[in-house]
Amino acid sequence: MSNQFEPRIVGFLCNWCSYSGADLAGTSRVKYPPNVDIIRVMCSGRVDPQFVLKAFQKGADGVLICGCHPGDCHYAEGNYKAGRRIPLLKKMLSQLGIEDGRVRLEWVSASEGERFAAVVNDMTEQVRKLGPFNGNGGSKNG
Amino acid sequence: MAKPKLALYWAASCGGCDVAVLDTNEKILDIANLCDIVFWPIAVDFKYHHVEAMADKSIDLCLFNGAVRNSEQEKIAKLLRSKSKVMIAFGSCACFGGIPGMANFTTREDILQRVYVEAPSNSNNDKTIPQVTTKVAEGELDLPELFDTVLTLEQVVPVEYFVPGCPPPVELILKLVDLYATGKLPPPGAVVASDKTCCDECDRIKEEKKITKIFRPHQIIPDTKKCFLEQGIICCGPATRGGCGMRCVKANMPCRGCFGPPPGVIDQGAKMLSALASIYQANDEEGVSRLINEVLDPAGTFYRFGLPDSMLKRKRL
Amino acid sequence: MVKISIDPITRLEGHGKIEIFLNNEGEVENTYLQIPELRGFEKFCEGRPVEELPRIVPRICGV
Repeated sequence: MSNQFEPRIVGFLCNWCSYSGADLAGTSRVKYPPNVDIIRVMCSGRVDPQFVLKAFQKGADGVLICGCHPGDCHYAEGNYKAGRRIPLLKKMLSQLGIEDGRVRLEWVSASEGERFAAVVNDMTEQVRKLGPFNGNGGSKNG
Repeated sequence: MAKPKLALYWAASCGGCDVAVLDTNEKILDIANLCDIVFWPIAVDFKYHHVEAMADKSIDLCLFNGAVRNSEQEKIAKLLRSKSKVMIAFGSCACFGGIPGMANFTTREDILQRVYVEAPSNSNNDKTIPQVTTKVAEGELDLPELFDTVLTLEQVVPVEYFVPGCPPPVELILKLVDLYATGKLPPPGAVVASDKTCCDECDRIKEEKKITKIFRPHQIIPDTKKCFLEQGIICCGPATRGGCGMRCVKANMPCRGCFGPPPGVIDQGAKMLSALASIYQANDEEGVSRLINEVLDPAGTFYRFGLPDSMLKRKRL
Repeated sequence: MVKISIDPITRLEGHGKIEIFLNNEGEVENTYLQIPELRGFEKFCEGRPVEELPRIVPRICGV
């Protein structure tokens, strides 16, 4: 039994592209780490920054958001909004001492099973190196 | 029949909320006639030992302003809670942490160093920093312990009502007094303000929110009739509870969110960030880069009054 | 030495307490004024855009 830190990553995957992509990784039997807990949303534009904060609040070490490639959004513009929200959120989180590697936005299409697995692999290792999130729970001292 | 007993207290506060109560002008006499003021440091000479001597729940209404960021403020919050029937978080600091809540970007150690050692205007060659206990020739002196983290009142004691604002507008204070006097206070947990956002109250012209640039004050002369956001000026109205009378916007200054999040929103800063990103038109890397660079201080702007109340509460230690 | 505390001081803006030490003759040996509050504006204003400061620092004192 390894003593290695196992990151817990929450993944918000859009129904039309990235969730199907992840599904393809599964049916193709591509191996990837089990560290991402996947939540299916209809569009990456549905990902409210509050979801990302709640994930950290509840103990996640990282948050992955996946959507359709630019131009391919099922709802035309949703992924563009995600493309603006998530980078701005990352800037705000860096002001709160949260490292860049803990929040990641990726475009994954329905046919990119291998790519999804590679993203999960890469992010898991990145977050493993960063260590547990350890947010201050709101207590008054340290 | 005995008059209801009223107490007011200030924790990490600027005094503005107490002045707001005094700003009711001649109506303060109505308040004084309605209630017996049993504790109010800015105006009346009662001491902590007077409060300690009171029976539990003998204070009918306590208006507590200021955030909690040291051990004395925590102690008095708990003391007043035990002595009061109804506790109101009065003003943005008590409700959400307020401006002093921005100390959650830093630590007590960094604050003490900056204030007592590093500040250029200091004359403190011995680098003396205040201690919780100090021995002097005659005996011992003590000071409260400073916390790393600023807390809202609700994070320390249960609170029945919230009156937001920096400070709460006089109309809102009078509305509160009226609700209390006529026994028409809403169910506990309520925020005594509007249930809509500032945008609903704002009478500026709103057309379509699509911007390609965010302006700093020296880069634009704001149109006084048009929505700030539509001019590319960051205004936190969409993510802020209404009821303030739009005092800032009427003075041609964009909202900075002192009334806290609207109903249903848990994290005001995250919602404002989301709103701003939604209206900014940029669909490629270059455009997104521009957006990131133009929003100079997202955390300090979107969490201006509510960092302790946010989901993450503070910068990670 | 007897210590008398005036806590809090009232009818002014701000927090304070006064400690008075009396000697055996009942005379005032020494008196100390302490300010039991600190919010840290000097630190948390660092990094804020300069145009926001006129909206932040008035909250140092609302009187």
